[in-house]
Amino acid sequence: MSENYKFDTLSLHAGHIPDKETGSRAVPIYQTTSYVFNSTEEAASLYNMEVGGHLYTRISNPTVAALEQRLAALEGGASALACSSGMAAMHLVVSAICSSGDHIVASSKMYGANINLLQHTMPRFGVKTDFVNPNDPEAINRAIKPNTKLVFGEVIGNPGLDIMDVPEIAKICNSKNIPLVLDATFNTPYLMQPFKHGANIIVHSLTKWLGGHGIAIGGAVVNGGNFDWGDKDKFPTISGPHFALGGISFWEEFGPSALIAKIRAEGMYNFGPSLSPTNAFHLMQGIETLPLRMKKHIENTHSILDFLVNHEMVEWVKHPDLETHPDHEVAKRILPKGSGSIVAFGIKGGREAGKAFIESVQLASHLANVGDAKTLLIHPGSTTHSHLSSEAMKEGGLTDDMIRLSVGLEDINDIKKDFERGFKAVKKLNK
Amino acid sequence: MIINFKDAKTYIGTGGKSLDNTKKTLCFLHGSGQNHLSFVQQARFFAYKGYSVIVPDMPAHGFSDGNPCKSIKENAEWINDLLVDLKLNDVVVIGHSQGCLVALELNRILKSSLEALIFVAGSNEIPVNQFLLDLSKEKPQKACQMMVTWGHGIDGDMSINKWPGHSHYGEGNNIMCMNKPTALKYDLHSCNDYSDGIDAAKNIKVPALAVLAKNDQMTPLKSGLKFVELIKNCETHILDCGHFLPSERPMELNSIINSFLSKLK
Repeated sequence: MSENYKFDTLSLHAGHIPDKETGSRAVPIYQTTSYVFNSTEEAASLYNMEVGGHLYTRISNPTVAALEQRLAALEGGASALACSSGMAAMHLVVSAICSSGDHIVASSKMYGANINLLQHTMPRFGVKTDFVNPNDPEAINRAIKPNTKLVFGEVIGNPGLDIMDVPEIAKICNSKNIPLVLDATFNTPYLMQPFKHGANIIVHSLTKWLGGHGIAIGGAVVNGGNFDWGDKDKFPTISGPHFALGGISFWEEFGPSALIAKIRAEGMYNFGPSLSPTNAFHLMQGIETLPLRMKKHIENTHSILDFLVNHEMVEWVKHPDLETHPDHEVAKRILPKGSGSIVAFGIKGGREAGKAFIESVQLASHLANVGDAKTLLIHPGSTTHSHLSSEAMKEGGLTDDMIRLSVGLEDINDIKKDFERGFKAVKKLNK
Repeated sequence: MIINFKDAKTYIGTGGKSLDNTKKTLCFLHGSGQNHLSFVQQARFFAYKGYSVIVPDMPAHGFSDGNPCKSIKENAEWINDLLVDLKLNDVVVIGHSQGCLVALELNRILKSSLEALIFVAGSNEIPVNQFLLDLSKEKPQKACQMMVTWGHGIDGDMSINKWPGHSHYGEGNNIMCMNKPTALKYDLHSCNDYSDGIDAAKNIKVPALAVLAKNDQMTPLKSGLKFVELIKNCETHILDCGHFLPSERPMELNSIINSFLSKLK
């Protein structure tokens, strides 16, 4: 009987049914590199992509596949592929779609590694990117050229927390037959499912909220299956004959899953950024409680926003759920459950104050990650960007008093108490 | 491959191999609102086993242009003409769902050239409820979603797939959305209006195979079992899955078909 299970149920069950032999309720960890073929014919069938199955764990693995199928179900996509990190996922998408001479339009307000990849690495291979303001759909429209092969951005920008108007940008991309690729790490499918708003491809860092416990690095590409790759001049390596498998056309053979089929046959085969089965298991354990965690992340975030906005030691607070945020209206429209649990705020007293705060808190962890169940903090002015002047930081959209906070799941009063400890240290410094 | 047939661009899946009409041909006929992609794991499998495979996108389906056929008979005539155009003889026809009804009619037109018939999740009749008929006209996308949900067994609900990382629901919806918006309406009406199935089934003289699904909500098992009783010596198998048997149980289905084909040689 078909049930069409809901999000919370899929978070727990999608991708796995206990097998008849062992009855294992948990997804088994298939810690193996390879799989015994029952016959030469079966081996050939797998190599030729005649049927689905597992050949070698660099290409696919049953535990990793359970994770992929869970992600596809949660995002409402046609197919998904998990890999070693979010950045690996990003590179797999870019390299699957683009070739030398192609062009990308990307958001100018993104995670540094995403910018580095597009600004510095890909041009060495002949793929150039124009960066535009993600809050300006018309600027994106103007930047699209005849050789543009994808538009890329982050639904919630890192670290600036800009919100892309996904439906508006999707309309532009759709009218020009260009796939809209979104990094949806900060929203997760719990807060927003980009395919419902017209996006075509999603990239995730599973390391963050989806995994949620800071124990495993992983990434994923989720394919909406809603993009027409049929233009052979524009997407020759997806719809035209490909060197793999005797000139296969991934579009003709796999239709909605053409991109994932290509990434598996080319990207995973030739580059090899595979996800370990054990990490896939850890990440799936995280996904099982994603709905519960995200509810609590948002609840704690809203409480901490009230606390910070009204605190005498806080100069400014930035979060899209605040009316003062420039993208607040877009956030309300496309992220009605909340705009994630990253908060940026400035402490009165500048760079030294930020440093004193970070060094005085005890509960919140000072580290370079986000999306953990635990509260995390970083002060870019004294760590990642300590080599930059205040002016140079401003150019990059940062200020030297800025603290990036990833709100965790602790009792909210304990977080506030911890922050008071930090503010007390700042007060002493300012005296 | 793409050909111009009856003044319309027509796509024919060949399982990744060139069509060779000197080999035994397997002709796969897709179901309502489907296209060649519903047979992806059969087309490539049998093409690489040395058969000549064709999986036509019926008019207005998949990559084919043209106007949708408006009855099962019209579908069968279109396939008949295509086989003549491609100079294919001694064809084994494999239908899924609506494709089974088309295969039944094709048998009446083409019986001298048919070598065998294979019915996957088939019956001699496929009545369609009025709600779905209306929905296919008014909101075809919603109708597609409902069919994809009803059509799959628990593997669809739980996103279990033999093809790593693939979702039956997500992929199924998008396969159906590739067709022209009117295609589903005409397909469902063609199925609902078809009433010659009993005579057509009794008229089968070639070897026949039926592979039915235990949890089929589109062509229920009960109806499929009645259907195979009408066919003289129909080899019958029942698999534990939903209506979208070609993607839910690809290896089992391929193995049964392969074994049946080997007996024809």
